Amino acid sequence: MSSPFPLLRLPRLVLFDVFKSLSIGEKIKLSLCSKKIFTQINSARLYSQTVIVDLDCLSHKISVHFENDKETFDIFSYLDTWKGHNLNTQQFSITCCTVAVTSIQKGIQIFWKNRQEGFLSVIQHLSQMFQCKISTSFNCHFSDLLQPTISKLFDLQLEFKILCICLDGSKDEDLFNQISGNLKLVEYLSISSSFNTGFEPVFTSWPQKIIITSSAWFTLEYLLACTSTTITLGWAHLGNKDLDEILKNWKAGEFPNLERLKIQSRNITSFGATILGMNLRELVGKVIQTDDGSKKATIKLDFDTIEMSVTSF
Amino acid sequence: MTSPASSSEVKYLIESSEGNTFDVSGAALRQSNTFNAMFLNIGADGPIPFTDYNEATLKKVFEYCEHSVNEENYSGPKHQDDLSKWDLNFFNEMDQKMFIDVINASNFLDIERLTSYCCERIARMLRGKNTQEMIKVITLPTAEELEAKQKVEEKKAAAAKKVAEKAAETAEKTETLEELPVQQLVQTTRNKLTRKYLSFSNE
Repeated sequence: MSSPFPLLRLPRLVLFDVFKSLSIGEKIKLSLCSKKIFTQINSARLYSQTVIVDLDCLSHKISVHFENDKETFDIFSYLDTWKGHNLNTQQFSITCCTVAVTSIQKGIQIFWKNRQEGFLSVIQHLSQMFQCKISTSFNCHFSDLLQPTISKLFDLQLEFKILCICLDGSKDEDLFNQISGNLKLVEYLSISSSFNTGFEPVFTSWPQKIIITSSAWFTLEYLLACTSTTITLGWAHLGNKDLDEILKNWKAGEFPNLERLKIQSRNITSFGATILGMNLRELVGKVIQTDDGSKKATIKLDFDTIEMSVTSF
Repeated sequence: MTSPASSSEVKYLIESSEGNTFDVSGAALRQSNTFNAMFLNIGADGPIPFTDYNEATLKKVFEYCEHSVNEENYSGPKHQDDLSKWDLNFFNEMDQKMFIDVINASNFLDIERLTSYCCERIARMLRGKNTQEMIKVITLPTAEELEAKQKVEEKKAAAAKKVAEKAAETAEKTETLEELPVQQLVQTTRNKLTRKYLSFSNE
């Protein structure tokens, strides 16, 4: 069978089976062959396995992999100055732009006239193919690509596996305000912030899980309103009285989604106010129950970190 | 040839597009889910018309089915490297036109194992290649060719309808013998097939 194979003349179900048996990288490379193939791949709805798209805004790299498979296909977006081109560089079409593409080991390099638009175009191309989830890391914070990219992805209602944001200045605060109403799209929100910025974020929705590394600003009021399943607070200012209030509320049926609460705070001490009528030493290792008996929680203490793990009956 | 079809000794007559007929064992034919849905429990009165496919293609498809009768039950796609020498020879003997005809027939007859191996063989053409190399391996169709493909799929849907009607006709003949259960089976089968092939033509 040396003559070119008429792939798109195959029956659709056969064609879809062929797509399914290709790796992520092969599907992406095939999708660049023509718009018709891209359309067919989209029609195949290859969504049975969750695909994660890791954004490394600083290196202009997008890594694509299955959720439970760390083998990635990397897509680099560069500014098209022709310097990066070599003999293998070819022109292909992605979201209506004709761009130069070079194959590298385990990935491709794409050369764009506008790197920011290019970066977004790749994400959109991937999201149409795989209905993927997006992940970002903290190093994105140092890239100009972060804010416009995240903002656009929220507009497109794409889901995030992990979203890392820093609250370190007005640009970050603008971004937070833009996305705070759509945090239900985020599975894991990680917030890093400087002390004393004066910014008081307003959460109009909550992610499934939240971790705040410097959480001095995250007061009891924030915590009582939080509907996340996992809440992790580092460098918190919460004290024994706050913990007492949190546990009383939980026993009364508040925090209905809560599975795990972890608070690192030097203000929760053995010498402070009692918590549920016990001092901290007595509380540690205890199993407490909600008033209706539907859930129980185990309290653990590790130096200055207290952790509550909930199990439902 | 009629058969209540539970024994592998039973032979069925298959009719090709040329109007030629040939024998296929019940055991081989039962690898076709399309056949199972239409004829397995009710038998066929006369040749089974798979008249959208030529004799050479059908013989090739059923050659595969006859060979794999004694193999273990199919348990999902195999990697090409796991194919036996016989399987590899079977595929290597075919030119591209025959290979495509076999894929189409296998897809219509819903023979999972053969279809899956064909898919794996196509995927193998694309593996380890960059986009430019993939373009060289595949033919990108023109708009006219895509239109022609649509027409072919419509034609196949019509052929499937014809086969389903044949099954229904057979069922009507057996109605007096077995009454309601068979009638219900045929109706269910007809509905299933109609849905299946309508979904093909709508895609």
